[in-house]
Parts: sequence; C-alpha cells; structure tokens
Amino acid sequence: MKKPPARLLRVLFASVLLVGALAYGRTRSAPDLITPVEEIFPGSQRIEFQRGIHYVYGGAGALMGWAGAEEANGYGGPMLLVVGVDTLGQVAGVRVVQQRETPVFWRMVRAPEYLRAISGSRFDSIDYEYQSVVAVTGATISGDAIVESVRSSVARVAEVAFDVQLPLPPKPFEFGFLELTILVLFAVGIVGHRLRGPIRRRLRWAGQLVGLLVLGFWENSPITLAKITAFLTGYLPDPRTGLAIYLLLGGFLLTSIFYGRNLYCLYACPFGAAQRVVGAIGGFRLKLPPWVVRLMEGARNVVVFAALFMAFITLQPALASYEPFAALFALHGTTLQWFLLFIVLTGSLLIQTPWCNFFCPMRTFELVVLDTKRWWQGSRKGSPGPVKKASKAWTGARDQKGGSEQ
Amino acid sequence: MRIFDSGLFWFVEGILFVVVILAARAWAQDRGLPMPIWKWVLFLLWVALAGFTIAFVGTSFGEGEPVAATRGGLLFGLISIIAGVGLWRVLLAGTGSGGEDAVSEV
Repeated sequence: MKKPPARLLRVLFASVLLVGALAYGRTRSAPDLITPVEEIFPGSQRIEFQRGIHYVYGGAGALMGWAGAEEANGYGGPMLLVVGVDTLGQVAGVRVVQQRETPVFWRMVRAPEYLRAISGSRFDSIDYEYQSVVAVTGATISGDAIVESVRSSVARVAEVAFDVQLPLPPKPFEFGFLELTILVLFAVGIVGHRLRGPIRRRLRWAGQLVGLLVLGFWENSPITLAKITAFLTGYLPDPRTGLAIYLLLGGFLLTSIFYGRNLYCLYACPFGAAQRVVGAIGGFRLKLPPWVVRLMEGARNVVVFAALFMAFITLQPALASYEPFAALFALHGTTLQWFLLFIVLTGSLLIQTPWCNFFCPMRTFELVVLDTKRWWQGSRKGSPGPVKKASKAWTGARDQKGGSEQ
Repeated sequence: MRIFDSGLFWFVEGILFVVVILAARAWAQDRGLPMPIWKWVLFLLWVALAGFTIAFVGTSFGEGEPVAATRGGLLFGLISIIAGVGLWRVLLAGTGSGGEDAVSEV
C-alpha cells in the first residue's frame, strides 16, 4: 500500500485530535438532573432513581412527587427536559436540563412561556399544543423536541407512578416536497454530469435556482456544519422526520465517491446558487494569485477544524455553525454571521463563489473524500497517489472542454 | 445620536437625493448614454432603496437601536450594492463599456 500523501496524513492527525476531543466531551456531558428536580420540588430532602424515574421525598420521608426526564432529538442534538409531577397528579414544574440548539433559534422558541403554561395541569390533561411553542416559523424542530421530551417524560411518570398508559402519538414517515426536490436535484446532477456544453450549464443553473428557492428560501435546509457535527457526535436525527438531511449528506458522499465531484455543491446548494446569481449580476472574474488562494484554502481548513474541535469538546454541534445561511434564508443570525453574509455576497460580485472556495466546510470534506478515494485507488493499482491542485477557478485556469465548472 | 433623530438628517438626505439625480443626469449626458424613461424609473427606484437604507440606519441609531441599525444596514446595504451593480450594467448595456461582458460567461 502506498504511503498516504502529506495532506491525508494531516487529516488523519486532525481526526485523532477530534476523536480525543469527542471522547473528552463525552466524559463531561452527563447532565445534572438533581439540581433541576430540587428546583421543581423546593424543600426536597432525598431523591432516588428507581424504575426509570426520580422519586422525590421531603421531610420525614414523605413522598412529594416524581420526576421524569426523557430525551428528544432537537436540531443540534438531543434535548433533555425534566418534568415533575406531584402526588396529586399535577405538573409541579418543567426544567430544560440540556439543549444543543443554535442560540439564534433557541431564542425564537418560547420555551419558558410554554413550560410555565403547562405547569399546574394534570398529567393526563396537558394541552401540549398550548399556543405555539415556536415564536416564529424556523425553529420548528426545536419546538417539536420540547413537546416530545415533555410528553415522553410525563408518559414515563404516568406509567410508573400512576399505572396509567398515556399514548404517544406515532411519528409518521415524512416524505414531502423537500425530500422530492432533493432527489430530483441529485438526479438532474447525475444527468448533467454526463453532458457537456451549454445544456450542462443550463441544467446546472436550473438545479441551482430550484435549490436556491426550495432548499434556501422556502425550507432553509442546506447542509450545515452543525448537522454534520451532530452526525459525527452520534446524534442521528429520526429518519422518519428528518429524511432530508440523510438524503443531502448521502447524496454528497456518494456522488463524491462515485462521480469524483460533489453534486450537492454543483446542483443543489442554495448558498452557492445565491453567490452565482450575484456573480452573474456583477460580471467580474477577479483572478487571485495562487499563493493567496492556497493561504485562504489553508485558513478555511483551520477554521473548519477549530469549529469541529469546539463542537466536539463541548458536545454542542450548534457551536460549529458559523455559516451565514440562516441570515440570508431566514433573516436570523448573529451580527458576525450578518457581516460574513455581507462580505461573501459583495465579494461574489468580484470573485466567483468566494464562500464555496474559501469558507465552506463542505469543500474541505469534499477534498478529504476525493483525496482518500484517489489514494485508495492509487494504492490498489500501484499508481502515484493524489496530486495537489489549487482550485482552478482562482488561478484563472479554465476547463478546456467547456468553461469553468466551479 | 440625536442628530439622526432630527430634521437635519432628513435635510441632508434630501440634498443627497437631489445631488445624486443631477449627477446621474450629467454623467449620462457626458457619456452620451441614452436614458429612456424606463431606465430613469429603475434608477429612481435604486435611489429610493439606497435612501431607505441610509434612513433605516440613521433612524435606528437615533432610536437607540444599534443592533437593528447594523443588521438593517448590512441587509439593505447589501441589496443596494448588488442592485446598484446590476443597474450600472443595465445602464451601460449596449455601449461596449463592460455592461454585457459577463453575460456570455454565465
């Protein structure tokens, strides 16, 4: 087997560090359930964990109530809420123990108001749809996770403490417009990849415009580093309700491996499409010196590593999310993300897709996949390993057959 | 920040508005650019957008909302810049001055 090239060795070293960060994060991530239970039941003297729930005792050993804590899948990973139910069957209180949502979206969710609203209700007559958990659309996943965690926790307490079975609503398999659009875009990409010339360019434009409208403005569902990090940290979303991300990541990975090009970026990515639209308006193609291109590509890889490291060590996938996608497609973001959006889109007037080439983590992942593939194929066939090449678009080199494809 | 909440700010914005329109007219005449009514309409719409951006930022600062001013300035400023570049290319289209160069590259 051929020795891996230097770039792959650096990736291997970075991977070892990331695995170490993840292991360290896991040792620190055990949630503290005692403190929130004590807050729900002030005056509690003893808390015992039996049969999957917490039994709460007050003075003289008197039973005050029970507390259940069940996880639900949020946007950035599992969400854990603890629900306390007193001996009369009333909800004594609800506390958020752990959540890994993007801060901007968590602020949109009216969690404290919702949790206060259901406190005091009987455990078997809670109005889970009280008002809307989500302040505005865009944080639906977080809101649904809160409701699911509360419902599951109450059901657990009801079963153990009151011998009452509270049915949990079944999760239907969701395959809708978004999932269908993703499949169509990858299909268009596979067809377009086999063609050449104007029809390939038109197919790519059509795909990207559909991606911009549907994956971008309509659904705000591009691939983000937070979603990838959630996968890498073991937080797999329920495929019944989160099939879209499986399709996107699966499509990205499989097309990179089997076609040698990442068809998500070429045909579906809404932010890439936004940059291409702005680039078409601007009409400039500034050529950067190769050393600038290499420097910026290196900086991108360092930023991606740093974001992943932070997310792994804290087990907060949302911390890795530096992309300005939500700022553009949902008008929600931190000030830094707004600045980044401004810089990237004004830069798109002069430079072709600057985010894709100099900031996007997907480009880093794509290069890792392609380098690994080439090295593996080279090792098996005995030919030289992967060749380093800077992005062609930046040095001004063009595809001889039909213009720049990046 | 009181200046953004006063009549002076709107006075200055009005001056800017007039100056920009007169400058555009002079620029078009100097370059011999035909300016039919629809190009003037596009230009005035862009001036309104740019003016709105400045007004939004100024009045937000005046009301003590720097975060809103920053984010609104970034958003509307971005739209104004992109629209301005597009408008520039439309105005120069057909004159051989770079208005159509990139269209064929798309």
